[in-house]
Amino acid sequence: MNNRYKILIVEDEENIRTLLSALVEANGYQAIEADNCEHGRSMFTSYVPDLIILDLGLPDDDGITLLKEIRKESLTPVIILSARSDEYEKVQALDLGANDYVTKPFGSAELVARIRSAIRNTRHVLDDCPDGTFTTGELFIDYGARRLFLKGEEIKLTQTEYNIVALLSEHCGKTLTYSSIIKAVWGTPDYGSTKKLQVNMANIRKKLGLRPGQNSYIVNELGVGYRMSGPQD
Amino acid sequence: MNKKWTILQDTIITAGILGVCLAVSLGIRNVFHTMDLIPTIFVLAVFLISLLTEGFYYGIFSALFSVMAVNYAFTFPLFTLNFSFEDNLVSGCIMLTVTICTCALTRKIKHQELFRAETEKERMRANLLRAVSHDLRTPLTTIYGSSSALIENREILTEDQKLKMIRGIRADAEWLTRMVENLLSVTKLGDGDVHLIKTPIVLEELLDSVLVAFHKHYPKQEVSLFLPDEMILVPMDPLLIQQVLINLLENAVRHAKGMTSLSLRVSVTGGKALFEVIDDGCGIDQQKVQKLFEDGFGVESFSGDKKENTAGIGLSVCATVIRAHGGQIRAINNKDRGATFSFTLNLEDSDHE
Repeated sequence: MNNRYKILIVEDEENIRTLLSALVEANGYQAIEADNCEHGRSMFTSYVPDLIILDLGLPDDDGITLLKEIRKESLTPVIILSARSDEYEKVQALDLGANDYVTKPFGSAELVARIRSAIRNTRHVLDDCPDGTFTTGELFIDYGARRLFLKGEEIKLTQTEYNIVALLSEHCGKTLTYSSIIKAVWGTPDYGSTKKLQVNMANIRKKLGLRPGQNSYIVNELGVGYRMSGPQD
Repeated sequence: MNKKWTILQDTIITAGILGVCLAVSLGIRNVFHTMDLIPTIFVLAVFLISLLTEGFYYGIFSALFSVMAVNYAFTFPLFTLNFSFEDNLVSGCIMLTVTICTCALTRKIKHQELFRAETEKERMRANLLRAVSHDLRTPLTTIYGSSSALIENREILTEDQKLKMIRGIRADAEWLTRMVENLLSVTKLGDGDVHLIKTPIVLEELLDSVLVAFHKHYPKQEVSLFLPDEMILVPMDPLLIQQVLINLLENAVRHAKGMTSLSLRVSVTGGKALFEVIDDGCGIDQQKVQKLFEDGFGVESFSGDKKENTAGIGLSVCATVIRAHGGQIRAINNKDRGATFSFTLNLEDSDHE
């Protein structure tokens, strides 16, 4: 049983910690618990977990501090768990390298899906070479040929549109903030580049035939960014 | 900024009234050749100034000015300042007394008005708290009761019963979550002194998020969507507007009895985006239409009916949010069936700094 993924849970509320532990264990992962930043830090160094669920409001320090420290030395996926639902907080955490952001209260199915997708993605990024292929639902991307297919039919995208979709798919399941997408696609952001991104996204949605409310493939995080939903989301 | 404006305004009022008063007095002196009326006119001027301006300064200044003016220009010997006559001193005292009394009185009235507004606000807040606490108690009873029962009787209860109770706990917890989200929106807006952070949001993306969230709670309710083809950016606080739309849709599901279709329509006219939530249910009671979006959300009709009150809180949140955005919100009954709840948002960010 030692080859199970280890998940470190840093959360000060005992009830939530118990719930998270039970949930994680029930889904075949191994849970390690910490109740403050200090404890979380030492657990992280001694156990080297495969994923961290991090609460922001911890008694000794802000969870963001711990996130910064972890990101200095490792790429271990971090899912932020927080009661704060401001867009600003989300953008800050995501830009500092958090892989995902779940707002309390959360549904168990949703959290488990996020955990799966975060673990899968790190492995995907590490194992697969970028000129492979990507499949989610009926969407298929051939990175080598830079072509995209929906239900077997090719969708003609412009260079920029393709770059955006490819970027989202490479980080499938992770919310990318507007500024991180802009940096990856255009380089330095300038005034109006968010609008440029929004226009391109509108065209992509139109070409893919996505209707509002269907929640297929590309998820909007209003005021934060975009996320490509994985096969299990 | 505001203070400077008040000072300027008060100075203009004082100068204006004194000027008019001087002109009238000069006119009376030159036309009627009598000066008996003149002190009375100045007393009136001082009274008006004390009434219309803020604080004591303008009143006292105009009282002194009037004593001087009457003394200098309207009492014998003309065009000299003479304080030796007792009646000059007495008239000066009378004017000062009039000023001080008027100012004290106006102050008292203003204070009372402020106090009344405060009490009104307090009362509304107390009503809100009462309604909320009452509303919280019902789902909490289910959650607390069911979970205790599950712990204490876990061996007696059948799997079916257990599942039923756990489902109840989840449903009520979900309901509480939505309630808390609404309350958070209200506190985020506070009272009056709001600073909204507006970002341009793509209409399509907003509606996508709204429908996804709405279908999480009401998977079976179809919503027909009508929106313009071109991409439209609307400056807004996206989470708050999302909340408004979800509240309006939810309101229709809960209250429009006999509804067969629910639609969400967005159109753009005259620099504004118009959002409409249209149902074909039972419509709204005409008497209630007026009060729907009021802050007190009809707590007077507080009946202990859970549904009744949550509608109130949801709609009053909508009204607060839309007003803070500088838009208008209203509800009308459709000509044929059902009701339309609509609000507008400006396409140009007017309070852009």
